[in-house]
Amino acid sequence: MDVATREKWNRAAGSFDLMAGHGPEKRWEPFKREFFSRMGEGRILFLAVGTGLDIQFFPERRQVVGIDISPKMLEKAQPRVDAYRGKLETREMDVHEMAFEDACFDQVFTSCTFCSVPEPVKGLEALRRVLRPGGELHMFEHTGSRYHPFRLMMNLMTPLTRRFGPAMNRPTVENVRAAGFQIEGVEHVFLDVVKTIHARA
Amino acid sequence: METRPYFVIGDLFSNCGVGALVGLAMAALVGPGWNMLVGMLVGMALGMAIALPFALGLGALFGAMETMIPVMTTGMVAGMIVSMGAAMQASGLAHAAELGALSGFGVVAATYLANAVLRRRTS
Repeated sequence: MDVATREKWNRAAGSFDLMAGHGPEKRWEPFKREFFSRMGEGRILFLAVGTGLDIQFFPERRQVVGIDISPKMLEKAQPRVDAYRGKLETREMDVHEMAFEDACFDQVFTSCTFCSVPEPVKGLEALRRVLRPGGELHMFEHTGSRYHPFRLMMNLMTPLTRRFGPAMNRPTVENVRAAGFQIEGVEHVFLDVVKTIHARA
Repeated sequence: METRPYFVIGDLFSNCGVGALVGLAMAALVGPGWNMLVGMLVGMALGMAIALPFALGLGALFGAMETMIPVMTTGMVAGMIVSMGAAMQASGLAHAAELGALSGFGVVAATYLANAVLRRRTS
């Protein structure tokens, strides 16, 4: 278990909804509703639950296992987990050391997660291990930009933001490829920074 | 393109407000005795530093990346433009604030345009 990362997100849990619960969630609401509508009938892994802000966008009657490295985040998420009309269980777990059997999920969903996973390619390889062959990976992520001045801004902000939360300049699309996934589509939500990535194991 | 009034007004308020604030700070700091290039570089760096806490705070109200990236860019652009102007000739605080706010408006317009173009492409 990555204790430093767990502690970082435990500290962030108290103010997380204040920072992310209003503006970002409202702004991304139409995109996230469409994104999570891809949740199918099979077994789904959702990484990372956080305070459960995204649960409101899950379609009803799905079978979802949500994991998060932070017990404080999961504690905050519990009322939203309880309110979900479907099967949703949460577990405290580090993506690098998931205690799931190989090929036991049909789909994996992530939402603004791989800006914070310390070893993103290893984390993605771990997701590929738990996905059945041909299983789907769907990611709603913010990444670095190819274009200046946005690229410069994000590179300058990252040393500060990663101290208390996410990195702003991750090459997540390239990381997904490096982890052995076949990318099926990338859609931009805001500039080339916020995007959805769809891939197969 | 974003059309919801809350977010459009929020983007304009955030960027014009931060631009005006950066303009005021630069006009108070940089004067006609400054080398223009030095003034420009100091303006860009200080403009971004001033914009950073606002970018994080306003992001909670109006959207994370959609607020942080343009507000930081506004800090840089407003700092650069106002400092260059102030190094060439003395300007009043009101004029500097106006120029900063206009820079913010320009950054919002440019970001909306860039977003419209980039959203049609995929990585």
